Amino acid sequence: MIKPKRLLSLLLRFIAFGTTLAAVILMATSHEKGTFFAVSYEAKYTDTPAFKYFVIANAIVTVYGFLVLFLPPGSPIWRLVLALDLVFIMLLISSISAAMAIAQVGKNGNPRAAWLPVCGQVAKFCNQVTGALVAGFIALITYIILLLYSIYNFLNPLFEKA
Amino acid sequence: MGLQNEEKLELGCSSSQPRSKKWVLLTVRVLAFLATATATLVMALNKETKTLVVAMVGSTPIKVTLTAKFQHTPAFVFFVIANGMASFHNLMMIMVELFGQKLDYKGLRLAMIAILDMTTVALISGGASAATFMAEVGKNGNSHARWNKICDKFETFCDRGGVAIIASSAGLILMLIITAMSIFKLLNKPKSVSS
Repeated sequence: MIKPKRLLSLLLRFIAFGTTLAAVILMATSHEKGTFFAVSYEAKYTDTPAFKYFVIANAIVTVYGFLVLFLPPGSPIWRLVLALDLVFIMLLISSISAAMAIAQVGKNGNPRAAWLPVCGQVAKFCNQVTGALVAGFIALITYIILLLYSIYNFLNPLFEKA
Repeated sequence: MGLQNEEKLELGCSSSQPRSKKWVLLTVRVLAFLATATATLVMALNKETKTLVVAMVGSTPIKVTLTAKFQHTPAFVFFVIANGMASFHNLMMIMVELFGQKLDYKGLRLAMIAILDMTTVALISGGASAATFMAEVGKNGNSHARWNKICDKFETFCDRGGVAIIASSAGLILMLIITAMSIFKLLNKPKSVSS
């Protein structure tokens, strides 16, 4: 019978793995063809290095999440998992931040720099990118909860009073 | 006699080791504070005004004055705020280290320092990455979205922005080292004997 603590941790890790996978798939399959005054173009995620970085970062975290799901409970590698969780949280934060900065310009434009918003022409692309960012956000929050939970479990023995 | 001297030497070594570690941590914190403060100031004072000739009417040129400020881009605003908060955090930690050795909250002092350091690392990394990618679009433009590059016209603005981003990245690496040291301190803290 699995202990409830282990079940909760496993469930959280599965959610984190699922959401990073969803973020990768949503962002990678987002492309749309459109016409802008008889000029046809295609919007893909490879147009911006920020979206490419988002896909790569979330792919790395997906692979890591998949591998950690199969780690047996008692092994000493869990300390390394704690450190790697922190590193991958940082990676996720930086990828979401970068993708969101570019997506914000794509949605609202930047009139001072004469950058027009593109979401008007490629609404489906924009919606899918938004979905990928939301999935990335949920993954980030799940990983933060996991990190805090791991630290709490790790520190609890230190606070036990005799 | 010989054994007694050895014992005294060993005790002397162990008592001086945490002190040198404390000074190492303090020095790295000061460096990180300087890096993030530099990034904040350089980006916050980043402004360039340029007069461009737009068209010629007869023989008089029509000039347009354009200003590039950091407030125009939300990514840079986030960058300034994140680095400002990081410098404030480092300053507070330095003050607590120097003057507030007795400050504690139910024995959670080291844990709180470690967690706050982690959140600051997260904050700086978010700010630096957003600013980096916005600067990349500004430098290279984006042909697919028809966004023209602006760095060929506003060179000083771009240069200063680049310096701020590099300073923030250096601050990020230093903060990572500090976080590792704080977590190390937390996990190795001597277990206090409960009364």
